[in-house]
Order: sequence, then C-alpha cells, then structure tokens
Amino acid sequence: MSIPRFKFFFAGAMTALLMISGAAYAKADEPQAAAKTAAAPAAETVKKPVKESTSTADHTKFKELDKNFKTGPEVTKACLECHTEAAKQVMHTKHWTWEWINPQTKQKLGKKNVINNFCTSVQSNQTFCTACHVGFGWSDDSFDFTNQDNVDCLVCHDTTGKYKKIPGLSGHPNYKAMEWPPHSGNFRPATDLKKIAQNVGKTSRQSCGACHFFGGGGNAVKHGDLDTSLINPPHYLDIHMETDGLNMTCGDCHLSDSHEVSGSRYAPTAVDNKGALIRGKRDGRNPTTCVACHGNTPHPKNAKLNNHTDKIACQTCHIPEFARGNLHTKMTWDWSTAGKLDEHGHRIQIKGSEGRAIYDSKKGNFTYERYVIPEYTWFNGNVRYTLFGEKVATDKVKINDFLGSADDPNSRIWPVKVFRGKQPYDIGNETLAVFHTAGKDDAAFWGNYDWDKALTAGMAAMGLKYSGQMKFVETEMSWPITHMVAPKEDALECAQCHKEGGRLQAIQDIYMPGRNNTPIIDKIGWTLALLALIGVLIHGAIRIFASKRG
Amino acid sequence: MLKFIAGFLIGVVLLGVVAFFKAGSFMFREVESPYGVEETAARIQQNIQRLESHGWKLSGLRDPSKAVAATGTNVLPVLLVEACSTKYSGPLLKEDETRLLSILMPCTITVYKKDNGKTYIGLMNAGLMGKMFGEKVGAIMGEVAKDQAEFTKFNPDEPAPQLIKIRPGGGGAGGKDVGGC
Repeated sequence: MSIPRFKFFFAGAMTALLMISGAAYAKADEPQAAAKTAAAPAAETVKKPVKESTSTADHTKFKELDKNFKTGPEVTKACLECHTEAAKQVMHTKHWTWEWINPQTKQKLGKKNVINNFCTSVQSNQTFCTACHVGFGWSDDSFDFTNQDNVDCLVCHDTTGKYKKIPGLSGHPNYKAMEWPPHSGNFRPATDLKKIAQNVGKTSRQSCGACHFFGGGGNAVKHGDLDTSLINPPHYLDIHMETDGLNMTCGDCHLSDSHEVSGSRYAPTAVDNKGALIRGKRDGRNPTTCVACHGNTPHPKNAKLNNHTDKIACQTCHIPEFARGNLHTKMTWDWSTAGKLDEHGHRIQIKGSEGRAIYDSKKGNFTYERYVIPEYTWFNGNVRYTLFGEKVATDKVKINDFLGSADDPNSRIWPVKVFRGKQPYDIGNETLAVFHTAGKDDAAFWGNYDWDKALTAGMAAMGLKYSGQMKFVETEMSWPITHMVAPKEDALECAQCHKEGGRLQAIQDIYMPGRNNTPIIDKIGWTLALLALIGVLIHGAIRIFASKRG
Repeated sequence: MLKFIAGFLIGVVLLGVVAFFKAGSFMFREVESPYGVEETAARIQQNIQRLESHGWKLSGLRDPSKAVAATGTNVLPVLLVEACSTKYSGPLLKEDETRLLSILMPCTITVYKKDNGKTYIGLMNAGLMGKMFGEKVGAIMGEVAKDQAEFTKFNPDEPAPQLIKIRPGGGGAGGKDVGGC
C-alpha cells in the first residue's frame, strides 16, 4: 500500500498548524510557565536531616525512667516526678476534657458532646474513641478526670513513632503482643514503655498526626487537609512543612501555653487584622493565623491582592485543593446501607478503584476523592452545631453551620470540606440518633448489626429513651480547610474565580468582575464603543475626502 | 473576475483561520465522566480487557502529574491508560510506508480532573486521523475508533473495578513483558 503524497502533505500541514497553535498557546502561558519553573528548585536544595533534637536534657540518663514500666500510668507517675505541674495543665485543656463551651453561642461542644456524620458520637463508644484521648482508661462515665496518673504524656511526646494507642483498649497502648487489626495476621509486639519514655521530646508532625491524621477512623478520612503525607511533605504539598524547606512542625503555628494548644475548629479565627505577632506578646489573640506571621499586607509587590483580604481568607487562594498528598479523603458516608451480609452471614468489604473500602457491612457505603476542589462559604468564625436532643427537620440536617455573610465586616470567604452522609434519626424524639457502634457487648452494631439494640444503648448513654422508630436522614458537616498550603506560584489565579462557573460560583451575594454583568452598563459600553468606531470612520473619510480636494 | 478572486482568497484565509483555531478539537475529543479519576480509568481498563477478542491488551498506566509534583509544582490528577491491539498495529508496522504511524502507539486514553472538580476523558479522534493516511490506514483506524467508543461506555449498575497498576512497557499484547504493541 502507498499513501498518497498529498495526504501526507495535508497531514503535515495540519501538524504544522497544530504546532503553531500549540506554540501560540505556549507563548500565552509563558509567564505562568516561568513562574512554575521558578517554583521548582526543590531538587537542587540540599537534603536536610529530619529535625534533630536540641533539648538540654537526655532522658536516657534519668534514673526515674530507667525502669521496666508495666503500664502507661506508671510512666506518667515517673514524668511527674520532674514535670510536677504538667498533668494539672493538661487537665485544663480540650485534649483532656473533650469539652468546650462556646462563649458566644453558649453551646456545650467538644468531642464528648458533638455529633458528627462519621462514626457519629463518642458516647457509649469510649472504649474505642479514646484511643485518641490524652489519657488512660476512659471507658465509661466512671473515668476519673482528676487522677493525674491517668494523663498520657507519651502520646504527644513520643519521638520513636512506636507508641500506638489501640482502639478498644480505652486509651491504653498494648502492653502484651496482640493481633492488630483483628484477624489480619499482623501482630504488634508489646509496647516498649521504657524505651519510649527515655526518648520523649517535643511534639512533631508525626506525634500530632498520630491522632489528627487519622480522624474519622483512618488515614486522611475526616479533615481532607490532614493526613500522613504531611509527615514528610514535598514542596508542592505544604510550603511550611516541606521537609527540605522550612520544615515547620504543627507546634510552630499552633503555639501552646501551659499545654493549651492554640487553634480550634470549634471557634476558628476567621478574620485576623492585628498584624504580625510580636514574640512574647500575650494579648489573648490566636497565634495560629496566617496574619500572625505574614502581617496584614502579605503581598508586597501586588497591592491588588492585598485588597482582596477584606473579603477573601488567605486559605481560599493558597490552598487550591485539599487531599493533595495522593491519599483519598472520605467525601460521603451512607450508614443506611450498613448491615448487609453475604450468603454465609459474614461481613462484606468491597474496595473501590482507588483501593479504599467503598462498602463495609459495619459502616455502609463511602466515596473518596483526592485533589478535592473545596466548597466556599462566608464565615465569621462562629459555628453553630446541631447538638443531641435538638429537634431537627428531616431534610438535609446541617450538623454544623458556618455563620457569616457578605455584609458582615468580620466575614471572609473560606474554603471548606463539606462531608455528606446519611445517618440514623429517631422519629419519635425528632432528633439525630446516637447509636452504640463498637464493643464486645450484645448491643454494639458492629457485632450484631441490629439497629434497634444499638440505638437503644446509644440513646440511653445520652440519657434519652429511644422511641423505637428510626429512619436515615441526609446530613452535612463542614470542615475548615487550613492545611496543605501550596507554594505561592500554585495559588489560585485570577481567572479561576473571575469567570462564569468559576471557583466562587456559589458565592452569589457579591459583584465579581468577570463573572457578573449589568445589562444596562454593558449596553452603554457597547454603544459608546460603536459611536467611537463610527466617529473614527467618519473622521477618516473626511480626511481622505479633504486630501483629495487638495 | 477581481471580485471572484478576492472572495476566493478571503475564503481561503478564513478557512485557514478556522483550521488554525479548531484543528485541536478535530483531532482530539473530550467527554465528561460521571466517576472520579481512578474509577474512570479502572472502568476504561475493564472495557479494554473485554475487547480482548479484538486483540486489545493493557500496556501501561502512567501518572504524569506525579513527575510534575516531584519538581515542586501542584497539578490536578491525570492518568494515562495505555492499550494496544496487535490486530490493528500489525498491518501498520508491517509496511515501510505506514511504520511511521507507530508514533501513535500505544493507544493512549487520558483521564483527568479539571478546575470545576469534574473528571474528563480525552481521546484521539482515530477515525478522522486515519482518513488522512489513505484507504488502508483509514479502515484500520476506523475500527480503532469503534473500539474506542466501547472503551468509554460505562454501566453504572456494575461495581467499580480495581485500578490495574500495570508498569508502562510491561505486559501488553503479545504476552508478558513484550511491552505493548
């Protein structure tokens, strides 16, 4: 077979056209491309070691720690021999009480009190949930919150990465070798408490992440902007924590004072216009904000961008997507499908294309996503929660509501992860229902798949009688996006918002150039342009006519 | 006569302008997917495997966004599903005149996310491209185009398949590690 030459010629011409148009497009993108290239020196930077300890104390030399500890509380007792006030300080924090009263709304919040649309509630499930409590032994309401030995120092100060609190042990690590996860065939050796106690140090991304990266029951599940990719993040993922760059830890922003860690999702600081924070200055402000370091005018070469800060939170532009660490975050959870078993009565687990479970008999259906484009909302720092016992409508319950509006000077447009679910609702009580999920007793849903038993036990733990009638309702819960800050070259560009169908399409109560138009102004503009063109033509014609007449 | 020539020339110029700006959309097609990036790619892989009778084999899965991320820059996810069929590649590779078309092998289907959060599938317009290279190539590429259309037909009642992370150049038509085509 031979191919006609003219067809090769035509194909060649088309290829040339493609190349020319490609070149044209490439030229249009040059400044951006140059900027992106400028953002890529990571490979040239010298590999720095992971942060080394600069502590003045070598804990391996302390005789108090040279013991074969049998339990966590024994370690705490040894810590308190030197750090005499530490436990008392911890006991005043949310990390210990799991309770916080919002001074503005007067709502009693904290993990102990709120409902969410993941595993829904701590109540009746403490044995499992308290794997992330800074204490030992909280399995029910009898837990002694005043006993200093119950404070767990190691969970935050471990530097070995070997300290793990296993769900189901009421906040204790495993003191004996045990199979984990159950039926996996993987055995965790007994926790070497002496070694861990002798290697304590400052908190790190790894120690904070041991709980905060695993919220919702797994890596990357809950927040979307917090997962294990932040333990050693590359340049593109987080400009602050990049291991080869600034290498900042959580504590560098979330400054703590007497063990009280700053920054909270219950009352985030939506607006900070107090400028950069002077070291040592204590004025009660939240030191965790962007402004606390970057000041009120963070764009020295672009005043236009600074002008945006009266409406836009820094995070909106500088966190273009979340779950960027190639770990999928959970986006939906449908409890209504939980409880299906195979023909042998065994639990079913189905994995999705991305390798994460999309169905589990214990939990129902899930969906996951990575590189999630956030949703955007006005936010003034006040969050109203739908709490247990509150009567709610059954269509799309907002578990929390970020308050704010365009005409509120304390509001900014914030990026959020909106987590959507279907969860049990008590028809008789007209409230979101709490159910008993985990445990070895007969009422735990993960053991018996019986909603009535699980709801009866869960509601009783909240002090309410289950009505006996339930259904599943759709719920939404928003999570502020504040981590995974991209390099400045990867911040949102103007056209990503200033266009129809752009990022801020849902924010309709403001005028945005490029997105909104006013027909009358458009008509006036086009009329003026047309008149100008006619004027030019008339003027040109007169000039030609006049020149011909000499 | 002058008016006729001027009109003809203007027509040629206009045609050139249209071709210049629209050539890309003639050569490539973009369709929206109802699924996420991974699930779309996995469903395409599953459809490719179902057309084994046409000689199709998966020959690779690439993630070019990872390479960009390694240079420090953030980009939205992209997955390249690579497949090849010796039934179609064989006749093209056999002849000197068409061996140049090996540049189009393996057949690549791209799956990517855009700024609106939606997933899209990008395909080469094999049918149109083939027509430019004569009757034989046109006929072969026409068959490829028909199969491509099958690759992107999804049945929502079917469960999501696992993504097959096949090493580019590994596997493929012709047996293990032959490397695709």
